[in-house]
Amino acid sequence: MVTTSSSPLAPIPTSGATTEGSGAFQFPRLYSFPPFFNIQPVLSTRASQLASWSSLIQEYCRHHRIYTLTLVDALSTPLFNNSSLSRRLSLRDARAVIQWMTTTEGGNRAEWISAGNKKVKGEEGGEAGKCWIFWKKPEEWASALEEWVDRTGQKGVVLTLYEITESDATMKEEFYGMDPDLLSRSLSICVKRGKAQIFGGEGSEGVKFF
Amino acid sequence: MFLHQLDLTTALRPSLLPEETLLFVQDAVGLYEGKFKIPQYQNGQAYLTSHRVCYVDNNEPRKNSVAIYLKDVERPDFYAGFLKSSAKITLFPKPLKQLSHGTSIASNPPERASPQRSLAPSPAPAPAPSPSATWVCPICSFSNPVPSNFDPATANARTPLPPCLACGITPPLVHVVKAAITAMSNRQPHGGPPPDYATAATAGSSAQVGTTGQGNISCPRCTFQNHASLNVCEICGASLHTMTDKRLDMAKGIERSESPGPSLPPSPAQDRIFECVKLSFRGGGEKIFFERLKNALVQRKWLLQSAPPIPKPRPSSGAFDDGYSSTGNQTPDDPDRKRVVGIAGLERRGLEQRKNNEAVIGTAFEDLEALMTSAKEVIALAEQFASQTNLGPNGSSEANVIASQSASALGLVTTKDMLGSGSESLYVSELSRNLAEYLTDDTRGILRKEGGIMTLVDLWAVFNRSRGGVELVSPADFEKAAQMWDKLKLPIRLRRFKSGLLVVQGRDRTDEKTVASLLAWLRELHAPSSSSEYTWDVTVYGRGVTAQETAERFGWSVGVANEELEMAEESGALCREQGLDGLRFWENWIINDPAQP
Repeated sequence: MVTTSSSPLAPIPTSGATTEGSGAFQFPRLYSFPPFFNIQPVLSTRASQLASWSSLIQEYCRHHRIYTLTLVDALSTPLFNNSSLSRRLSLRDARAVIQWMTTTEGGNRAEWISAGNKKVKGEEGGEAGKCWIFWKKPEEWASALEEWVDRTGQKGVVLTLYEITESDATMKEEFYGMDPDLLSRSLSICVKRGKAQIFGGEGSEGVKFF
Repeated sequence: MFLHQLDLTTALRPSLLPEETLLFVQDAVGLYEGKFKIPQYQNGQAYLTSHRVCYVDNNEPRKNSVAIYLKDVERPDFYAGFLKSSAKITLFPKPLKQLSHGTSIASNPPERASPQRSLAPSPAPAPAPSPSATWVCPICSFSNPVPSNFDPATANARTPLPPCLACGITPPLVHVVKAAITAMSNRQPHGGPPPDYATAATAGSSAQVGTTGQGNISCPRCTFQNHASLNVCEICGASLHTMTDKRLDMAKGIERSESPGPSLPPSPAQDRIFECVKLSFRGGGEKIFFERLKNALVQRKWLLQSAPPIPKPRPSSGAFDDGYSSTGNQTPDDPDRKRVVGIAGLERRGLEQRKNNEAVIGTAFEDLEALMTSAKEVIALAEQFASQTNLGPNGSSEANVIASQSASALGLVTTKDMLGSGSESLYVSELSRNLAEYLTDDTRGILRKEGGIMTLVDLWAVFNRSRGGVELVSPADFEKAAQMWDKLKLPIRLRRFKSGLLVVQGRDRTDEKTVASLLAWLRELHAPSSSSEYTWDVTVYGRGVTAQETAERFGWSVGVANEELEMAEESGALCREQGLDGLRFWENWIINDPAQP
């Protein structure tokens, strides 16, 4: 995926994994600053740089409705590769950024997915470096779902997971097209809070909010 | 007017007068006036130069430093020390009239106001060689008189020497110089007025008692007003100066009780009349000091300054002088010398000059003393040679220039034999001051040429080169000396970069200033001159610079540039970009993004 825009500040047309494609993503200006693609050795600068990267990744993923990133593949996407500047983040540096995002200092905005067992925190997300990007954390998703149910007066109604993420009714909601794994994770948080109940077996779960 | 204010160099050493050379340095020295310690002048370094004895205080060097001109010194006296009393050297001032004479060297001309000055006897005979001085002809051993106008201090190879009266052979210069010096030092004790007389004269002045406005001394017994230069009363024969001595003691006692210890702020210090000044050597070194002091007093280098330039004779055999201006006016002088023009003339001139050089070098190296007497010519010659060799294969490099200045720098350096008994720390601290002077010397501008900062290793190399191959400094001593800058509060500082690289820079150059100048430069690069080749917004971000560019821009060496950039990065002002074309440093927009509102 190669973009050919003349100015680094011009929006770069992208096609994310789960595209909604409403308008192009506006990169921050720092994105066109060459040293931004080098992880800085000096601590204070480094902290500031990592925070900038973190917010860039979150914004990018929110825009393109990306829930997981596979670093090996993502490195060639505009997110990590500024082709007009011919600068890209190296895999090592990208890992460092994500690693920082997984820490409390980085706001737990990412989580490695180990190759074998999903949802279990791996050290480095396997060789491919697969990870969750929480532009909304599961807790925040749970609140968003509760708020939606409350707003649309669907309390007590049994909803299928498909209904929540794919139906026309939720087209305008943020969780439209949400990753099923992330959805069930968010719903389980609702259950823990005592706001919902999950029925049914694997593949055909339903959920009731109250 | 015995103690003079002393000008110090940036390195807190006495700034030497022209022609003045440093002879000896000793630390842990205190000053006494008469029998009493002078407060605040109790721990310092004593510098013996060819013209002066200088005291530089360790704690308050700018305030409490004094110089004593050797020309004002009547005679030195040595006291070897006993039990807890340290060895001392006493300097007796010359009688007052003498003191106020010939102060062309002194920075402040003395005032001749106080009436008691007239107490002083007529000036001692000028230090011309006594007529009794003789030299013994090495050929026929006939005793010839040393010519009356012969001064060993100014004599050189060109001074005309009369041939032996008996055999007609011209003696070697050294021979006559030695003879004259011996004669002088023999004469020394008898030449001046008796020492106790000098003491009395000065003492009487501070006592004020018994002297009248006209400078007469009234006899304590019969009250007759005796002439100032008399020792005993003209009428009754009573001794006049035992009286003054006693009164002096009394007066002294009173003065002490009123103000314990004379405070010596610079201006009053010059008006004070000192009976004598003692240097107390608590750290040893007094013997060599005394030895060299005596030599300096005999040599009287200070006379050189006021002396008229030595007329340069032109012996008929070879042309002296530079040989360029001479052609015109030489013809009348030497009738036998034909006026030769053209290539033959040039060749002949060259030949004569070489002969002359040969003569100078020949006599100079005959003997160490002779070398000292003709040092000036030899240095001039060495410089001439140096400049000649530099003219050859592209001798334009700066190091060569510095090396060619080396001969003239000889007087500045501190060598190990100038210092007291094997005291390593004194050597190091003197070397340290020496280095600071060397670096801050504006005529050399070493530090300026290097962009205000240079590595210690480079400095070591340049410094040793400029010493001209003698008295080289070992790396260990050199580093120690550099470490001392901070302690001695000199205007130079040694800095250790993160990598361990040691650099030398002025004390006024702080990191903040360096960072500011780096940033100012980077901001200049925002100009959208050739922005087409850049893929980012040059007007916003400028561009990255390499250590190479920085070194060129600021005149630093690449190593230093690298360290300075990393220092600036460390401080958060810069950030780096490791690209294919090397490491580049940018303004740190990661922390202060200009695009952020």
